[in-house]
Amino acid sequence: MQGLIGLLKAAGSLMGLQPLLLIAAGIVVGIMAGAMPGVSPSMGVALMVPFTYAMDPSLALVYLAAIYLAANYGGSITAVTINTPGTPSAVVTAFDGYPLARKGRAGEALGVSLVASFVGGAVGILVLMLFSGPLAKVALKFWPAEYFSLAVLGLSTIASMGGQNALKSAISAVLGLLICTIGMDPVLGVSRFTFGNVNLFDGFEFIPMLIGLLALSEVFVEVEKFDFASESVAGAEKAKWPSLGYYWKLRLSMLRASVIGTIVGIFPGAGATIATFISYDVEKRFSSTPEEFGQGMPEGVAAAEASNSASVGGALVPMLTLGIPGSATAAVLMGALMIHNLQPGPELFVKSPELIYKLFASLLIGNVIMLILGLAGSRLWINVTRVRKQILFPLIFAFAMIGSYAVNSSMWDVMVCLGFGMFGWILKRYGYPLPPLVLGTVLGEMAEVNLRRAVMMAGPTAIFQRPGSVALLVVAALSFAIPIIQAGKARQRA
Amino acid sequence: MNNNRVRVLSVAVAAVLVLCLVSGAAAKDAFPAKPIRIINYVAPGGLMDVTTRKFTDVASKYTKAVFVVENRSGAGGLVGMEYVLGQPADGYTIFAPTTSVVIQVVSTNSSVDKYVWGFEWASMLMKDPECIISNRKLPTSDWVDIARDAKAKGGKQIWVGPSTGGNDHLMAMKVWDRAGISAMWIPFESGPKAMAALMGGQGVAYVGNPADTMGRPDLKVCAVSSDKRLKQYPDAPTFRELGLTGLDDEIMWRGFAVKKGTPPEAVAWLQELVEKVANDPEWKSFFEEQAIEVVAYKTDEFTRFVKKDLEDAQRYFKQFGIIK
Repeated sequence: MQGLIGLLKAAGSLMGLQPLLLIAAGIVVGIMAGAMPGVSPSMGVALMVPFTYAMDPSLALVYLAAIYLAANYGGSITAVTINTPGTPSAVVTAFDGYPLARKGRAGEALGVSLVASFVGGAVGILVLMLFSGPLAKVALKFWPAEYFSLAVLGLSTIASMGGQNALKSAISAVLGLLICTIGMDPVLGVSRFTFGNVNLFDGFEFIPMLIGLLALSEVFVEVEKFDFASESVAGAEKAKWPSLGYYWKLRLSMLRASVIGTIVGIFPGAGATIATFISYDVEKRFSSTPEEFGQGMPEGVAAAEASNSASVGGALVPMLTLGIPGSATAAVLMGALMIHNLQPGPELFVKSPELIYKLFASLLIGNVIMLILGLAGSRLWINVTRVRKQILFPLIFAFAMIGSYAVNSSMWDVMVCLGFGMFGWILKRYGYPLPPLVLGTVLGEMAEVNLRRAVMMAGPTAIFQRPGSVALLVVAALSFAIPIIQAGKARQRA
Repeated sequence: MNNNRVRVLSVAVAAVLVLCLVSGAAAKDAFPAKPIRIINYVAPGGLMDVTTRKFTDVASKYTKAVFVVENRSGAGGLVGMEYVLGQPADGYTIFAPTTSVVIQVVSTNSSVDKYVWGFEWASMLMKDPECIISNRKLPTSDWVDIARDAKAKGGKQIWVGPSTGGNDHLMAMKVWDRAGISAMWIPFESGPKAMAALMGGQGVAYVGNPADTMGRPDLKVCAVSSDKRLKQYPDAPTFRELGLTGLDDEIMWRGFAVKKGTPPEAVAWLQELVEKVANDPEWKSFFEEQAIEVVAYKTDEFTRFVKKDLEDAQRYFKQFGIIK
């Protein structure tokens, strides 16, 4: 009750023109930062930190948190319209969002990604407000063994990703895992496949690799087809926007994904991207037409966007309760708080509870503002799908180069992007699906490092010694085996 | 575009060009004539990132120079160093290192001549004492208990911290060496993640700096490297009190370095600015609250610290088999 009063008071204090404008500005900046492939949510927040020096600390926090919230949605815009995820966590959004857009259903994809982000954001914030204390304790119970098993659970989703080509998607996933071995070994510091090149010490930068694999390879495929002359511009007819009833039908997908996103977001070593893969897989299993995932299923977009936005609330749980950032962006937020002489952690609740309530209230308000701005903005963004391919593809190419460069201002990353573009194109030509490869690169390091940590701590059987880890492994085994058994049965019947 | 507009535009362009020339000529007299970039080796939100951003904020009281903070993270600092070494030595690109990058050069077997002595270590900003942090909720929350537990476990005791071969790992080796114990170092992606592991009871000790316990009430400083107790942490004993000698001045420094060959006036300008900032009350209180000693050492003194770090790293990493 006291909490509710505090929250209402805080919300009331934010109802002035200045705070509301500040939140709105944060949302706009966040959407833009998310949508630009070279600017990650964490960089978007970091770039804005200097602007907050002169602000009241609580307003600074409100502003920066709004950016964080909106950046996870922003990433979906380019994922849907040009198959170039603006943030790593929007990769899965592109799996179905882009095919929808190509079919002339960009309105649906953009609408679903916005509404799902809104729902996910709201669920994440509510969980943060209500259960952050107990959840923080759970986060601490997650040892390396559990992280490894979570990564295995994530990897088991390739069983349902493969469709017809189980072998090819397995090969693709293994390639992804192998790519992760490049760089300095994170446990002992041994160089692996770096050939003394400093740029390779940390392996490949994620964003250039992703843009290359997804966006550039698509451009190369289209250039190879070279049928631009016959193209009828897909979006030329009036864009169709979904009705409320349409969203209502997706409510369960959004809710499930929101819960998964929040939970996975709480663990500092996991993150939004893994949450999107798991939610996507769950939706596929709940669906009556799983084979259509990847061809343009609104459920896929809803799952990805709800879970990555929900992870924002999740990632703030350990930050506020333990002083441990749950994500790279939460780490930047913590740094910003420290610059303002505020020490993030549980004492913040005691020392300045009004600040915490303000943060909660502003996230809730910001989420609504994001919905409104997003609805207006979608009318603009959809125009991208009306651009003819001859013009759009060179633009995507340029965008990919700039985005790759912007991550570290490094030409090396541009080369990485081009290299992976070619690699992705070759894989596509020979029918190897790319999503398992991306999944492998997302999970490879997490799986390797945590397995090694677990074994160093507790010996070779470490992952079977902890109940949480065993439970996750059992779920992973089932999730891997069931689709294969089902496929086998279906074949017998046929 | 009509003719009139073209004329207005060309006049405007000409005016801008002339202005540039004039300001260029004027700039020869005084450093800096253009924005100065500070290159961080950590991602946004990292320790040195927060430090440099705070520095530019405070420095704006004393200079009109424009600072741009850039993050070029990767390979524990080598990427950032490589970048700065590739820029002209004109003082407009400053590298923002900590002890960690020097140690990283040694542990990765990279060229000391290139990465360490390719720089002039111009300004040391602060000394942050190294310490051992334990978990209040575990039975091993005091150093005595940790040492006893280590002997009982015979090398199986777990210490958590950031990267293998980093400065905190080096500090752990020094402590093990002095205390005659052995333990395992389990590295995590970042300090906070390792602290989460300590809070979750995965290990018994974390090596870091006193400020790491701020905002994390479960953690406590159980031994600190300082000749006397820190006034911000009066309950934390020094290593000497605990019977470990030779660990009274183990610190993590933060500072600024420029590429060797940078004009002396640019270096002097930076050092002067650092001195002003070091005396600024806001800057001082920000760091002193974290038990960090604010300094403004210049090249000679800073270089002595760098040399000591190099020697320590080479010695202990050989002893513990990190390098050959």
